[in-house]
Amino acid sequence: MNTIDLIRSELRKLSTTRMPLAFAATLVVLAAINGVAVAIGTDMDGSKTFISTGADQQSLVAFAANALMIAGLFGAIASAREYGNNTVIATFLNTPKRARALGAQLVAAGVGGAIIGLVGATCTIAAVAASLPLTEFEFLMSTSGVAQVLAASSWAGAAGAVLGAGIGTVVRNTGGAVTGAVLILIIVPPLVVQLASGMASWVPTALANELSGVALDGDSGAVAAAAGIAVWALVPATAGLWSVLRRDVV
Amino acid sequence: MYDNPGPHRLVIDHVTKRYGANAVLDDLSFTVEPGRITGFLGPNGSGKSTTMKVLLDLAAADAGTAVIGDRRYRDLRDPAGTVGVVLEPNAFHPGRSGRNHLRILAQASGQPPPRVETTLATVGLDGPAARRRVGTYSLGMKQRLSLAGALLADPPVLILDEPANGLDPQGMHELRDLLRARADRGHTILVSSHLLAEIQHLVDDVVVIDDGRLVATATVADLTRSSARVRSPEPGRLAGLLTTAGGAVEPAGPDALLVTGLALDVIGDAANAAGIAIHELSAEAGSLEEVFLALTGASRTTTTTNRTEEGARP
Repeated sequence: MNTIDLIRSELRKLSTTRMPLAFAATLVVLAAINGVAVAIGTDMDGSKTFISTGADQQSLVAFAANALMIAGLFGAIASAREYGNNTVIATFLNTPKRARALGAQLVAAGVGGAIIGLVGATCTIAAVAASLPLTEFEFLMSTSGVAQVLAASSWAGAAGAVLGAGIGTVVRNTGGAVTGAVLILIIVPPLVVQLASGMASWVPTALANELSGVALDGDSGAVAAAAGIAVWALVPATAGLWSVLRRDVV
Repeated sequence: MYDNPGPHRLVIDHVTKRYGANAVLDDLSFTVEPGRITGFLGPNGSGKSTTMKVLLDLAAADAGTAVIGDRRYRDLRDPAGTVGVVLEPNAFHPGRSGRNHLRILAQASGQPPPRVETTLATVGLDGPAARRRVGTYSLGMKQRLSLAGALLADPPVLILDEPANGLDPQGMHELRDLLRARADRGHTILVSSHLLAEIQHLVDDVVVIDDGRLVATATVADLTRSSARVRSPEPGRLAGLLTTAGGAVEPAGPDALLVTGLALDVIGDAANAAGIAIHELSAEAGSLEEVFLALTGASRTTTTTNRTEEGARP
């Protein structure tokens, strides 16, 4: 057994259920909503200034924050269901070095999350591009802007999935893991900002927007934003590792 | 492929496992020999599954050691290639096909893809059944798939928790033949089951535990002939005497007792020393079920037997 085989095995776990289809459907629906918004939506004043420049369009299709949350749910569900279905028993029987087994799971979740981010951003860009001919504006995003959005979404998706998988490993219950992911990604950050306003640039959605190049008051920089998102992911992942090493599997 | 080409003896050595203040395993020790099928018996909640989990490093012992061929499970170089396991009855993702379940196991353990098809055929799950989602499987089919996972790497050690659950008579027959063939090849096989009538015909040795403690370990032949039938005009007094001497005593009639765990001469000598008249003292070849109930306490109702399933016993 080698590490590549372990990771491929974990990827096969993720790809041989209906869960990817459900998430793919979610991504398509979100992209379609963006497409419809471009086609018939307007700003408050009735204009379509929200798609009038390349920067506006990049802001519209920036999918990294969505990727972080959707992939977070993906990782949380995938990981918690391993425990709920007891398939984790076979995982740790095959690889009793639990850190190694969990490492393979986190890498696989990260790959899955990156795919979610990439596919989500691609669908969104495609839907917006397909709808723009229905308006007075054309596709104005630069190639580098598209590349930045795709890369940011992939990175955020990978980090979100690792974050979710870490929570799922700690909680071991699908409902609890989903709740945990929502708490950490959506509910806790505003509270943190209320307590420490200096943290506003370092909450997950702000970092994702910075990474996509669409932050309103971003000052952290893309590299720092990428690192910041990674830290948000690694904290629950580390807690998951601690949990796996300390607790009985079943 | 194996860590050790020699025989793999399983050794549980003074293992204690607590959940809170409750000792699920209490200084438990026994060995499982290669080349034999060992039945692992005990009432529900007696600690059988926990023992297996400790042996397989899925649960940590608070004291003692459990090794497979002189190594802890986590220290085996090729765990999946050394030990095949059936542990939880429903450890599958219900939305995944049987074939994909095995492919995942094969990929993780480095088994070649054709091995998946071979193993599916071995357990009778080839063809359309392999493509179906596990959620649509019957209990028997799930058991077959569990067994396929255990056999995937053709390991020299099998640890099977209730592998016969849900199997039809044909499946039971195939399981018996399969385990016997592997034991004859020198493999080490530990099987827990509550189907005592079935396991009596399957296993060579028996380990009985109750409340996390070892109650008996012997060959089936020795265990089932270790009962003695005693008739006496003072059965109550004799029962107390023999219980104090370490025997398990069960009423077997108005003036008769069934005694397990004491040799005939010990029973006779003890009765004689106490001045208790004996009207009959004979060896009795009981069924494994009778011996099991005597050893673990007949009042316990947690053990299901074929007879109770059929409603023959009130």
